[in-house]
Amino acid sequence: MIGLSPLSVALLAAVVTGTSGAILAWRERPDAGARWLVLLLVGQVWWTTFLVFELEASSLAVKALWYDVQWLGVVVVPVGWLLFALEYTGRDRYVNPGVVAAVCVAPAITVLVVAAGDPFGVVVANREVADTAVGSFLRVDPGPWYYVMAGYTYLLGLIGSVPILQLVRDDARPFRGQSAALIVGTAAPWVSSVVYLSGAIPVPGLDPTPLAFAVSGVAYLLALSRFRLLTLTPAPRRRARQLVFEQLHDPVFVVGTEGYVLDLNRCAAEMFEIDRRTAIGEAATAVVPRYDELRDQHGDVGPLSIVGRNGRRPYEVTVRDVTDDHGRSIGRLAVFHDVGEYLVQQQRLNVLNRVFRHDIRTETNLIRGYADRLATVPSDERALSVVKESATRIYELSERTRAASDLFDPVSEPPPPISVAELVTAAAADLRDEWPEAEVAVDDDLPDARVPATLRAVVGNLCSNAVQHNDADRPSVWIDASAANGWVQLSVADDGPGIDPEEREVLEQGTETPLEHASGVGLWIVKWGIDTIGGRVSFADREPNGTVVTLSVPVIEAAPTDADGAGSARTSAGESASETGR
Amino acid sequence: MVENTDPPSEFTDGTESLNRSEPLASESSSRTPGNSTSPRREPATGTSASPAAARPTADVGSLLGAFASGAPFIALVAAVETLIATVMLGVGLTVAPLVVALVTFAVYTVDHVADADADAASTPRRALLARRYGDQLMIAAALGYGAAVALSIAGGPLALALTLLPGAFWVVYASDWLPDAGRAVGAALAAAVPRGRLGAGVRAKVADGGHRRIPRLKDVLVLNSLVVATGWAAALTFLPVAFAGASVDPVMLVVFTYFLLRSFVDAELPNVRDVEADAAVGVETLPVAFGVERTRLALYGVDVLVAVVVVGAAVAGLLAWPLVGALGVGLAASVFITSLAGRVGDASILGVAPDGTYLLVGVVIAGVRLIG
Repeated sequence: MIGLSPLSVALLAAVVTGTSGAILAWRERPDAGARWLVLLLVGQVWWTTFLVFELEASSLAVKALWYDVQWLGVVVVPVGWLLFALEYTGRDRYVNPGVVAAVCVAPAITVLVVAAGDPFGVVVANREVADTAVGSFLRVDPGPWYYVMAGYTYLLGLIGSVPILQLVRDDARPFRGQSAALIVGTAAPWVSSVVYLSGAIPVPGLDPTPLAFAVSGVAYLLALSRFRLLTLTPAPRRRARQLVFEQLHDPVFVVGTEGYVLDLNRCAAEMFEIDRRTAIGEAATAVVPRYDELRDQHGDVGPLSIVGRNGRRPYEVTVRDVTDDHGRSIGRLAVFHDVGEYLVQQQRLNVLNRVFRHDIRTETNLIRGYADRLATVPSDERALSVVKESATRIYELSERTRAASDLFDPVSEPPPPISVAELVTAAAADLRDEWPEAEVAVDDDLPDARVPATLRAVVGNLCSNAVQHNDADRPSVWIDASAANGWVQLSVADDGPGIDPEEREVLEQGTETPLEHASGVGLWIVKWGIDTIGGRVSFADREPNGTVVTLSVPVIEAAPTDADGAGSARTSAGESASETGR
Repeated sequence: MVENTDPPSEFTDGTESLNRSEPLASESSSRTPGNSTSPRREPATGTSASPAAARPTADVGSLLGAFASGAPFIALVAAVETLIATVMLGVGLTVAPLVVALVTFAVYTVDHVADADADAASTPRRALLARRYGDQLMIAAALGYGAAVALSIAGGPLALALTLLPGAFWVVYASDWLPDAGRAVGAALAAAVPRGRLGAGVRAKVADGGHRRIPRLKDVLVLNSLVVATGWAAALTFLPVAFAGASVDPVMLVVFTYFLLRSFVDAELPNVRDVEADAAVGVETLPVAFGVERTRLALYGVDVLVAVVVVGAAVAGLLAWPLVGALGVGLAASVFITSLAGRVGDASILGVAPDGTYLLVGVVIAGVRLIG
């Protein structure tokens, strides 16, 4: 057993802490950063170990040998630190074979030159034994490459420290503790190295860096044990936040203070058919739907009617400032919530409430009144007729309510799209069957575009209303359809008395009040059906009399049949979003 | 850190021999209770101590059992073995026993913490401690190994290498490092060779070759016990030499052979007890391959070989006859324990008893020294 100098004994403390830390880190594999922390600590232990051997060696040749062996640990430490910092803080995308190979180039050159005996003295120009009070070690005159490696080491250390420093002010106490311990652990040897290179060490030639590894080891041990380093790593947070942003089912845009798009999530790109690569950097007004109306807004805005991939949908937009740590605004966040489903649900509840509260109650009172009359005058034919008609209306109301319920059942599988020609022809045939006295005219040139099957119920109700509420002796209905730019325009015109303006207003507003409400649920079925498929309905007067109801419906593209066709039927209305939605 | 998991084997009583050929727990935490995974020795007491047994006896037995199953006891036995090696080598007393004890303590503490759940039935007290103080025990183990490494540096490069040897052997022996490396090389080769140059079968074999062609050593018959025995025999023999700075001597070969053969027996003895469990999980051991009877005969043969080596060394003047007598006592105890293999109901004997032989030898040597 060799007798140890005081300096060697001190260095062994660094070996104990470094080895212990490496073992504890090894256990945590494959957690983020574990293997690189092991590399870092093994590098430190290697450096320290062979420095002890150098100190205890008796000849210049042997000391020189152990000195050269130390280089392997010297060059490994900064590489391990940088890669650990990147992986531990969730920047593992940079820890790929290419980057690892790149950062290892300079260390590999150093090791190769040293292994080759450093024939030109680029690493160490001269070396001699220095006998001092603290031990006998090798005093070297650094060559040019020595300083290159020193600079490289500091550079990697600095780069690695940046993400770790960001955690010092983290909200989570464990991460603050971990980062503080890591900073202490890495700063100690770096400071020692700087002091050595500046010549401030009283013992000439003594590099105290390995001594500082004892401090590093204690700091890393503290981080591993007390602050659960590697057990509790911040690495997933970064990815998780990105994941939430990317996977959010609401479109999100990030706009800079200068009004340019900085980022948008996948949903935004898909919903509004935006190419993410070209959109970033573009003016927000050209990319973000209705941005002109959002520019000066804060909080919840809307609902705004916006055309996207699923047709026209009502969106409530939440606009928030993005601020830095000093509270300064550095951008804006606009989150688009599709509230169509919510609005329809709310409307359905209101209408059903009105149906029960008003329509059925009125009919029931009517039946009760005439039933009383029939009790006293059983031969009153008119009273009997009123009761029958009233009961029929209740039955029809319940049928339509059930149809509405079936129409918007979120659980049932939607029927396959149908062609406009097929839809219109069938609706006309049904109308003729139900109302033989009605005149039904259908456009000869019907487009073959495919539309959602929901439209069948919508058109059926429109046609039925056109005849049912028509006071002409021979009601006439005209059905016309055309397709352009991914949309189908389908109109149903009649020569009846027209729809009450108040009823139209109620439908357009989407809200009923006890005094202002529609009659029945037929027109509501039309509105809800159109809203569901992302279309639009408009009402106009017909000259000389009657009403024209026009439906705008997105065309459904046929499902791709090629090898990579993973898509299903989808609307093409988004293609014209720039024209209609922004 | 779990790199491989064995399929669950049958329940065993948790006792282990000193030189049990099993992987480190952290590599196979899913093993059944008692199927300890330490690479060298695992003297665990059985669970037969019934709560209904006589209280004082049961308590003493339970405490002794808990101690015998713990890492400190294993470390103590390892230190005694190193002392025996030191005496056999005729070198001065060094810190080698302490280094070996620290390494052993570290390895088995890690093992016990990692296998705490699996050990709950076989060694409940140890498992309870391991669960409750897992973090503290891990830090203690890490510091123990760190201290061992630091001490070994004081012994020079050879002592350092020997101290790291158990860890290196473990990596080769129990972990999937070797198959993984083989797989990686195979995959790289498969990727490097252009498509079409290799047949589909050959390509698949090369890509998966690591696993098929380079199995874990622990799964290879005889080699598993031999690797474990070699690692520990090398550390026990050469660490005192390295610390003492002694020159090469023929007696080193005698000491190495003695510990190699003894450790091999100690590694295979518990396999007799675990023959059914090992067969179930596909671990090749002598009892699995040749049966209990033949294994017992083979281990007798190894013990006879040890006796021949020791006596031969004495005849050649490499070992003193009193020392040979002390070693003979241990050898006789080993033969007796071997004779119990497959014949005793309490299988825990096969786990604890081999350790006891070294303590016995240590006591006899100390007695001989004291007498004269």
